[in-house]
This record gives sequence, C-alpha cells and structure tokens, in this order.
Amino acid sequence: MRMLVNVIACCACLLGVPNIASSEDSGEFFERKIRPVLIEHCYACHSAEGKQIEGGLRVDSREAMRRGGETGPAVQPQRIDESLLIAAIKYESLEMPPKEKLSDEIIRDFEKWIAEGAYDPREETAVPIEEVKTTIDFEHGREFWSFQKPVRHEPIPHSFAEWSQNRIDDFVAVGLEQNGLSPAPQAANEVLWRRLAFDLTGLPPTISQLAQWRQQDSLPKVVEELMSSAAFGEHWARLWLDLMRFADDQAHIVGDDKSLFFPNSYRYRDWVIDAFNSDMPYDRFIELQLAADIISPDDHSDDVALGFVGLGPKYYRRNSPEVQAEEWEDRVDVLSQGILGLTVACARCHDHKFDPVGTADYYALAGIFASTEMFNRPLDQQRETNDKGHAKDPVDALHVIRDVEPQDLAIMVRGDVNRRGPVVPRGFLTVLSTDQRREFKSGSGRLELARELVSKDNPLTARVFVNRVWSRLIGQPLVATPSNFGSLGDRPTHPELLDDLAVGFMEHQWSLKWLCHEIVTSATYLQSSQFAENHLDPQNRWLSHMNRKRLSVEQWRDAILLAADKLDAQVGGTNIDPSDPQTRRRTIYSEASRLKLNPMLALFDYPDPNTHSAKRAQTTTATQKLFLMNSPFMVQHAAALTEQVRERRISVREAVETIYLNLLSRQPVAEEIETATDFLSLSGDNLGEYVHAVMISNEALFLD
Amino acid sequence: MSSTQFSRRGMLSRAGAGFGLLPLAGMLGQHSFGQEIARGPHFAPKAKRVIFLFMNGAPSHVDTFDPKPKLAEFEGQQPEGISTKGNGFMPSPFKFAPHGESGVVMSELFPQLAKHADDLCVIRSMHTDTPNHEPGLLLMHSGHQQPTRPCLGSWASYGLGTENENLPAFVALCPGMPVVGPQLWSAGFLPASHQALSVNTSDMQLSSLVAHLEHPSMSRLQQRRQLDLLDRLNRLHAEQRPGDGELDAHIRNMELAFQMQTEASEAFDVSREPQQLHDAYGSSTFGQSCLLGRRLLERGVRFVQVYYVDKGKQPWDTHTDNNGGHQRLCADSDRATATLLQDLKQRGMLEDTLVIWGGEFGRTPYSQTDKKNDKSKPGRDHHATGFSMFLAGGGIRGGMMYGSTDELGMHAIENRVHVHDLHATILHLMGIDHKRLTYRYSGRDFRLTDVYGEVVHDVIA
Repeated sequence: MRMLVNVIACCACLLGVPNIASSEDSGEFFERKIRPVLIEHCYACHSAEGKQIEGGLRVDSREAMRRGGETGPAVQPQRIDESLLIAAIKYESLEMPPKEKLSDEIIRDFEKWIAEGAYDPREETAVPIEEVKTTIDFEHGREFWSFQKPVRHEPIPHSFAEWSQNRIDDFVAVGLEQNGLSPAPQAANEVLWRRLAFDLTGLPPTISQLAQWRQQDSLPKVVEELMSSAAFGEHWARLWLDLMRFADDQAHIVGDDKSLFFPNSYRYRDWVIDAFNSDMPYDRFIELQLAADIISPDDHSDDVALGFVGLGPKYYRRNSPEVQAEEWEDRVDVLSQGILGLTVACARCHDHKFDPVGTADYYALAGIFASTEMFNRPLDQQRETNDKGHAKDPVDALHVIRDVEPQDLAIMVRGDVNRRGPVVPRGFLTVLSTDQRREFKSGSGRLELARELVSKDNPLTARVFVNRVWSRLIGQPLVATPSNFGSLGDRPTHPELLDDLAVGFMEHQWSLKWLCHEIVTSATYLQSSQFAENHLDPQNRWLSHMNRKRLSVEQWRDAILLAADKLDAQVGGTNIDPSDPQTRRRTIYSEASRLKLNPMLALFDYPDPNTHSAKRAQTTTATQKLFLMNSPFMVQHAAALTEQVRERRISVREAVETIYLNLLSRQPVAEEIETATDFLSLSGDNLGEYVHAVMISNEALFLD
Repeated sequence: MSSTQFSRRGMLSRAGAGFGLLPLAGMLGQHSFGQEIARGPHFAPKAKRVIFLFMNGAPSHVDTFDPKPKLAEFEGQQPEGISTKGNGFMPSPFKFAPHGESGVVMSELFPQLAKHADDLCVIRSMHTDTPNHEPGLLLMHSGHQQPTRPCLGSWASYGLGTENENLPAFVALCPGMPVVGPQLWSAGFLPASHQALSVNTSDMQLSSLVAHLEHPSMSRLQQRRQLDLLDRLNRLHAEQRPGDGELDAHIRNMELAFQMQTEASEAFDVSREPQQLHDAYGSSTFGQSCLLGRRLLERGVRFVQVYYVDKGKQPWDTHTDNNGGHQRLCADSDRATATLLQDLKQRGMLEDTLVIWGGEFGRTPYSQTDKKNDKSKPGRDHHATGFSMFLAGGGIRGGMMYGSTDELGMHAIENRVHVHDLHATILHLMGIDHKRLTYRYSGRDFRLTDVYGEVVHDVIA
C-alpha cells in the first residue's frame, strides 16, 4: 500500500486541470451528496481544522483531495479505480471511515461523482502572505574573507630557504619565522614510510614493501606507488562519506517495513572509491552527484552518484508538510556545510544571525530539492516497478533522485509550515552571486546549482575541500571549523597558503592526487613529530613539527587485519560487520546504520550517519580499552599473528623483530628486545600475551 | 561555580580520567571545534542522579493518575470534532482514591505505589506535539522529533560528567531494542563518549550484560602481568615523545579499563543482592532492571534510563484490551517502582535521586476497537494533548498533584507542562540552567530545549 507518491508532484501535475463536468447539476450533486458526507465522516481527521491530519490527507479542498496523502491521490476525476478514496470507503484497502462503513448508497454516490469528473468548487483556503524583511547588507557581507575569491600569492622571502621544498613550505616558513619558531628536522625514513602509507592508503606498509623501499631509497617513488594503489580511493572515500552522511537505512522502522532502506547504498560507495582512484576532477565529482542524469541522459553509468541526495534520511511520516520541510533542511545542510562550508540551514526560520544568508536564500536552495524526489531507479528493465517507475523492492534499485514538476517555495515564516511569506524563485545564495541572487530555471535547477558550486568564481568550494584534505594529512585543518567558513567559524591560520593551494587545486583540474602529492612532498609534512615539552606554540598552529595523529577506526582495524595476515584486499562490494573476527574486508565496507550504528564503530568515534559530520570527534575512554583487551576481534587477531610467528620456529629476537615490523613497521631497539625477552621468560607459553600487548600499545594506535 | 560543589571523585574525573569528559578533551589539546566546555553545575543541584522509568507505548492517564468520573456520564458519546475508531468515551473501570497524608490520587492499579503517595508529584497536565510513537519518543528523549539531536542523558553527561571514573555517566537498560532504537540514547552531535552505555537486559547474566568485561581465557593475574608489560611499552614510547598529554590519557584509560573489569562486574551483578530484595522488585525484566538501576546509581552512574519494553514491542501501547493490559503492566510496574522508591529511601538516596515515571504520551479517554469491533476488549488510542507523569525524590515536592486536564481528560488545561518544560525542570534539578547548557554545532548553539522550555518551579521543594 505504500506507494510513496510525492505529494508535490501530484499537486503540481493536477493543478489547473479543469473539471470535466461543471454544470449546475454537478454543483448540486456535490453540495447534496458529497460535501455533507465529507464533513460528517472525514473532516475530523482529514481537514485543516481537524485534530491532526491523518495520513497526510486532507479532504477539505479540491486540490488537497487530488493531491492526496501518503499513499497517493485520493481522487482522480473519472478514474474510479485509481481514486484511493473509493477503495478506502469500500473497505478494500484502508477502511474508512474506520468506525463504520458508509452505506452502499453513499458509496455509489461517490463513484458516480468521480465518474462524472469529481466536480468540486472548494478552493484551497488562502493563507495570508506575511511580509518577510531582510536587513542583510549583502554588499558588505561579501567583504568577509571567505567570500573573496582566492588568488595566488607570492610568498615573501624567509630564512628557511634551504629547508623549503615547495610553495607550501614558503608560506609555512614565513609563519614560523614571524613567531620565532623553526621547522623540525625531517623524520626518519621508517617513520615517513609508515606515515605516508597510512595517510595515503589507510594501511600500514607491508614487510615486503618496507624491504623494497629500503632498497629503492626514494620517497617520490614511495609516494607514487601509494597513490596509484587502489587502497588510495578506499581511504579517501571515507572523507566524503562522513560529510554526506552515508548510510544504508533510516533511523526508524515501522514493523518490518524496509521499503525506505538503501540495500544498494554500497554502489554509491563504490562509485566514490572509483572516482578518487581515477582522480576524477572534484568539480566533475560534484556535478555528477547533483546532476549525472541531466549531464548525460543517455549514459546511466554515473547515475549512482545521485545517491549524494538519494541516500539522505527519509523521516517518519515523510509526506506531511512538516516532515518534508525537515528533509529539505537535511539536503540544504549537507550541501551547504559539506561543499561550501556554510551553515545555510540556520536560515530556515530567520535570516542567518551571523552570516549574509537570508531566509530567502535558504528557500531558494530548498526549492531545488522540493523540485526533486527520492527515486528507487530500477537496476535494469527486468525489475518489477510500480506505476511511478520505482522498483517495487529497493533491493532492485539504485537510490537516486529525479526531477519532478519544478516548484518555487514560499518562505515558511519562522520555519512554520503554516505561515507563508513570499515565494522565492529557485536559485543560488545571494552572497555568492554577483549582485542579485542568481535564479535557476532549468528543471529543478540541480545542474545550474552544481555549476555554481564548482564555478571558479565560487570562493568557497575549493578552499573548503583543500582544508579537509590538509587536515587529514597534516592532522589539523588550516581553518579549524572545516564546515563553517562563516563569521562564527575560525579564521585560517595561513590564509595565503589556503588560497594558494585552492587556486593551485583548481588550476590542476581539481585533482585530489595533485593536492595530496603537493602536501606530502612538502618539507612541512616530512617533519618529525617530536617536539620539546616547553613548546612555545602548544597547539602547533605554526607547524614547527608534524602533528602526531591518532589512527581512525578504519586505519586501525585494517592495520590489525593486515598484521594478522587476514586482510582481503577486494575493492568494492557489499557490506560487512567490522567487529566480526571472521570478516576480512576493509573497514570502509562496514554497514552504516542510522537505526543501529555498529557498536564497534560507535565506540571508536565513527560519526552518526543521521547528519553531516564536519570532523571526527576523538574520544579516549575505558570502554574502548576494554574492547582492545577482551573483544573477540582483538583476541582472535592477536592469536592469528601469534600462530604465524610460532610456526616459523625462530629465535625470540627474530620473533620480536617480526612482531614489530608487522605491527609498528619498524625494528625494535635493544631495550625493547630486552623487555620482550624478560616477559617471555616469565612463564610457560605467553607469546600470545606479548603479541596482544604490542597490538594494543599506543604506538600501534598513533602515527608519528 | 564553586569547586566545593564537586565531590573529590568528581574532581578527579574532571581532572582527566572520566568517560570522555570535555575538560579532558580540552586538556589534551584535542581540537574541540568551537564548543563550550561544560564545567559542572551552574548552581547547587538537588538531584545528583536521575532514573527515568520509561513506559514505552504510553500509559493511559485516565486509568492511572487522572480520574475522570465525567467519562461515565458521557460513556458511548463520540468526542466532538474527532472521528474515532471506537465507541466513544470510555470510563475507567478502575477505582481511584486519595492516598497518604497528602491525598495524592491514583487508581487501584498501584497498591504499592499508593504507600509512597507523599513522595510523588503527579503532573497531570503533560502535553506533547505528536501522537505518534517515533517522533513522540524522540521528542521525549531529545526535545526534537527528528533523529538528529542528543538525548537528555547525554546532555547531563556532557554537562556534569561522571561521578565514578570507573563507570559511565549514562546507562540505558533495555531488553532488546525499543522502537526507534539507540537514537533514544544517542549523543547526537555531542562527542560519542556521552552516548549511553546500552545494556540489553533480556538476559541478566553478567557475561551477557556488558560487552568485553572479561577476557575469554586469560586469568585476571595473567592479564595484570600483560598490562604491566603494556604499561612498560607505552611508557617507553611516551618517554621518547615528551609533552604529549594524549599518550598519558591512553595509558590511564587502559588502567581504568582494567579496574572497570572488577568494578563493573560488581556493579552490574544483581545476583549479589539479597533474595528478598529480588522478590520485592519482582522477577520480571523490568523489576530486575530497576534493581540493577539502583545498583548503578549507588555506584555513581549519573543517569539511568530503564525501559519497559518487551521483545522490541511497546507493551503499553494498548490499542486493544486496554484494561487487561493496564492491569498486567501496572502490577509489574507498581511493584518495581514502589520497591525502588523504598530501596532508595532506605539507603538515604531518594532525597538526591530524581525518579521519573511515564511514557511518550497518554491514551485517549475514548475507546478504540479493532477491525472486528470487539466491544468486549476495547483499547485506547494515542493521545498527545494531555497526559500524566510522576516525579519523585531529587528535590521534588512530594505529595502533590500538579496541573489538570479538562473534565474528560482530553486536553491539559491548567498549569500545562510541555515536554520541553519537563526537560528544563529535570536539568534544573540537576543544577543546570537549560538555557546555558549549549553546544556549538553546525553554526549555532544547540540546547536540549531548543528555544523553548520553562522550569516548573512549583513542583520543586
């Protein structure tokens, strides 16, 4: 029964359809036979004055009846079989009215009424349109740093010229010099190998890679090898999945009804991984995610990218106006925070209190999403579909979006769906348009929106992405609030560096690999993470050493699998349960549930997939450590590595070396071998206890 | 804020050991982007801890705490302007009487609780925004109908931290999953450490209650030896990396985890309670959960949610056989709740432990009959515009009935208390000004009560 017809779509299609019969007879028939029945038996639950609007259906106006509720149009003139009202009053589907079935005579009246065109003079009661004033001075607003287009900067001379490897270092050097600091020496090779491998691919180096790199003795070759590995895309995809709130389901389930779930969400994840591996330009990456179906209508190979919106939350009672408004907010929020680093959703109820974003700007964007619908596009022509073309079973579908009849939204005054302000044409943010807000005319406006987002005149998109990538590699962002480049966000520590990298990024075809390469080959990145205790710059704002980074749950779990020789390197595919010790695939493939987040992921700071995540939290708790000490996952993988070492029948020294190389990517020093020998001689067979201890040591969890 | 408001333990936990306290994050130089750091209560708390007994599905106010004799007069009449699925107004078959010195009224379904009438403050004028379970549950837990906000217990954990560094600040006890699921105890955008430790109470055996409390094969002695080795490795590592406080935090938490194995094993083990107390609470899952809840409160857990849930179902959702359902459910809930009050009182804990009893909304004063129109076992439907909850202990004025619904129990009319008001009041009792407990997220300062909520000072002693 759940057909999930988009209310707005039907509304828009049916507006203005003339009544077939509108003679006086029809009018009299309606007033005598139809209206009184509706008032007596239906209005209590299905009118604007009712206690609540059941099923999203109102029967108190012509438009509302034809628009219908959650299950579809209640009345379709002349089409008795497709008018859900008839099925309901005949007790064939819903049983309405619930208390007692209407008489056969009344039912016949309704059938006759619909057959003759369902004449209905009741107009939608007009809601008064309220004035909405804005006091935002957009011209002044555009003067804020992040709304100014980034430009190339020439670094000024500094005294660390010998240290500097590229432009990044020149900007960092100036900051160091001005603050009386100097750069740290370059880290040792084995430190850098581990750092580069984890940072670029999310995996530690293998023992054979370490041997090969030692022989090659060339960091550029290491970088090249890592960036061309398929593990690169798997690692970097997660950056995007966090911010677009990737998930396989919804936060609610009614009974066993999984019709709103996303069993094929993994196909979107695979697309993102492939995009990063093939170094798809970031501008195209965004365009496809908003408008792949419009950009290449005949080639559906990138349509899965539309999951950017299509995998968004579908809330409970999603066809009621209030809940629709909540869903639009999700779309606007993910897009604006994720891509633009702006909190546009703040303007849903009132003008943004701090940034030049008006309520009208919010509804201009929300209108784009109101002109689309979530679409379960059949995977192929063999799949069973419903009358709207959706695959009947979501298992047979790509979870995407498509345009419906475009509509401009009226401002909902103070966010209240029942209070209307002026209608706002779909369009872009005023502050990012030259002069007036740029309006979108073509379909929903998705493609125009995408083009605005990735326009080289857009001051935010490149900066925001560069900042996220920088943060992942350097361990702290240039702008400490990665999803808020507005006035309440932080200012960049190195504004010229951010701008220069953003422009360079755009000039290099928006290439993630160029950007990564630029950063990881800088002297800044290659610095040691050692620092003096009485440091002048405790937060390391000026980057006088590399930040010590904690591994994400993905990096950390994958590293354990690799060390235990259990990692299955298959790229792409369906979901896994990461805490299952038998599961060997990488953590990126974990189930991502809005309803019940996997407890292992939740324990280790994986973000709640119900909303956009600006940045991962980092918590340190005893319950995490209990997992390390006692979970089947840890216990079994420690045992597996122990078994491997044992089978090789090697000396204690060689065993310890193997364990260190496997878990820490380095040789143990004398003191560590001594500690190991002491421990291993304590009692009978405690090699397993030793391996487990190294596996859960701090060094295994951190990246120097 | 004066530091004398903190217990020594509390101070210790704030000083860098607790379950992910924000001050800890601050000390470690973690990039807590923009959020205010909560530093304990804004004023002296009356409730140091809270236990929320949640009757999932929504109890019927007119059968429990809100007598409506007028319903008999209107029996069978349909309410005006509402199309019902039943046979009109339905009086409660249960007898109501005042109890205690204060004369707090409740139905005969609560013979045990009646003995504690003078401790209870029954709010008869609750109202909420939606008569549907999912959004109603979310609103009651997080102040918002969509699953995007932190819940009450997480806010309390964020604002106040934990009293016992070896146990979490916030624990949810639920047999299986309620409707909506873990979103009900989610920290939302707050750091993940403020999420409840959720405990599946379907099986009260210690080993199935809390994950990873025990190594599958190593003895405690072996593990001690292993952790001593680990400690040595970690210290060697840290010595070469001076000035990095985060490494110390990890070392400390590893040690805490080891301690927690003992302490949590003890705290979660209800079998250590005397048999007569088990009997008093009742052998039902809810009874035993209340007993476990008390053990946790006693050991410094700040916020305990006990769910009356049954195999993922909402037992209080009595759409059919409302009367039979309430007889059965209230008997269980009455025994356990009354014993909890008694137990807390005996231990001198009731005065600073807030006990909350209620569901996501109420039930209709008129009947609902199923499709077969079985008039012998009518139910009641969801009802959001007026219902009852009660509070006890923790600075609450006992022996009080606050607010009222109209004569048929349809709408809260006098001293109306919205869910947001309830939240504001609960936080207030915990020493928190709900308007000042904020978290900067997505460009604005969020709070549990959004832009709403008034503290109901009249119910506070």
